[in-house]
Amino acid sequence: MKAPNLLAAPGRSARAAALHAGRAGLLGVATLRALAHPRRYALETVQHAKFIGLDSLPLVLLMGALSGAVMAQQTMYQLSPGLPREIVAGGVVGGMLTELGPVLTAVVLAGRVGAAIGAELGTMKVTNQIDALLTMGRDPVVELVVPRVVAGTLILIPLVMLANAMGIFSGYVTSVGILGLSTGEYVDGAKGYYHHGALIFSLVKAVAYGFAITFISSHVGLRASGGAAGVGRTATRAVVAIIVSIMVLDTVLGPVYKTLT
Amino acid sequence: MIRIIGVHKWLGGRPVLSGVDLDVREGETLAIMGPSGTGKSVLLKHIVGLFDPDAGDILVDGISVPSADRAEMAAVRTKTAYVFQNSALFDSMTVRGNLLMGLPPGFCRGRAAKCEELVRTALDHVNLEPEVLTLLPAELSGGMQRRVAIARAIIGKRRYVLYDEPTTGLDPVNATRINRLIARVSEEVDATSIVVTHDVESAFFLADRIALLSDGVVAAEGTPRQLRETDNRAVREFLDAAPTRGLE
Repeated sequence: MKAPNLLAAPGRSARAAALHAGRAGLLGVATLRALAHPRRYALETVQHAKFIGLDSLPLVLLMGALSGAVMAQQTMYQLSPGLPREIVAGGVVGGMLTELGPVLTAVVLAGRVGAAIGAELGTMKVTNQIDALLTMGRDPVVELVVPRVVAGTLILIPLVMLANAMGIFSGYVTSVGILGLSTGEYVDGAKGYYHHGALIFSLVKAVAYGFAITFISSHVGLRASGGAAGVGRTATRAVVAIIVSIMVLDTVLGPVYKTLT
Repeated sequence: MIRIIGVHKWLGGRPVLSGVDLDVREGETLAIMGPSGTGKSVLLKHIVGLFDPDAGDILVDGISVPSADRAEMAAVRTKTAYVFQNSALFDSMTVRGNLLMGLPPGFCRGRAAKCEELVRTALDHVNLEPEVLTLLPAELSGGMQRRVAIARAIIGKRRYVLYDEPTTGLDPVNATRINRLIARVSEEVDATSIVVTHDVESAFFLADRIALLSDGVVAAEGTPRQLRETDNRAVREFLDAAPTRGLE
């Protein structure tokens, strides 16, 4: 009897991962190359910016508000005994700018925008619409990928900033209304913590996450196969890949904060 | 002229095309006929570079499609139009948007009136009213979607129009309409047409020449009359098994 090859499955997975990474790399190069012709994608970019930005705004603000309130409560309950109460504001501002604002906004958009882009491009792939574009001499990267990536990368900056502002404001409301801080204590605490490096770090994360969400979902969508079921799998795969990449980027970008402080 | 030279293609671990040789002459309508799964659509996709052959070559006006660089491929694609089996209309765009996509990129910049005229003419060719221009593909019937797809293929006045199973999935009435439309449009726009079909009636109605694809090779080739009269076993088996719909 032939012995089972224990290395076969990991080998296949490694090969598939390498293939995927290679294809993503090629798509990345094609995307960067296509950026040089803004007239060809400007109009589409504005339309996608509306879908990614304006239509996501209520959800992003809600998440910002809730996370600011949670941050205020947890900082108060876990850190303030024995420490000045102003630390609550520091916790809210620091937490929102460096982690919660960018990460939660990105997670919201992974579900809302990443799944939509993956499913839309996946449907286009399995119904030959991508092939139709090619036969018409049009470049799917320019027509489909670049407008989404540019819109996502740019629009996440104001979205994250608004989520940060909403979180800090709801942290204030929670601190003053529920936790018994005065306005002066909250403002002093916030001022005491705030520095430009944290804001820049937030912007860096917004750009990285905006690119990751739209690029990964486009890449996964363009690789779809297998009809309606395949499109469903593509949307799921896009969301999972985006969330994992957000956490990987969150870890990798950590040291950047150190250089900014 | 399109030349298909010794094309081999394996898909999913099995040979689909095993040395196909075929010439498509200027101005003719060639029907590529054969049972389902014999690689007719795969062959058609090789002509526009959607598939690369494992061996062999495809020449479109002297340009080798498999080894074409970016500029050469762009040249091939400005000469060819492809009507997909499922129409492949862009479902986020209106009919007008879909038709405009059939024109070369940037063509309409500063020429809105000219483009609108081309849109109306293309729509007129396929017997559709201008009212459909604002509709989305999902709001059209299957037959109308197929007609829009044909209009999108001919709007740019491409030299070669490739039809992939244009009547598949349509009821007999709509299938007959589409066949008549293709015949008329091919004449009106003076295009060389390749029609892939497993529908014998369509092939005999439309084609100046027919090629029968069987077991990955061209088993027989000739005018409709030559094919009707041949005693080639593959042709006889295919024709005898085919239902008829009464196209003249």
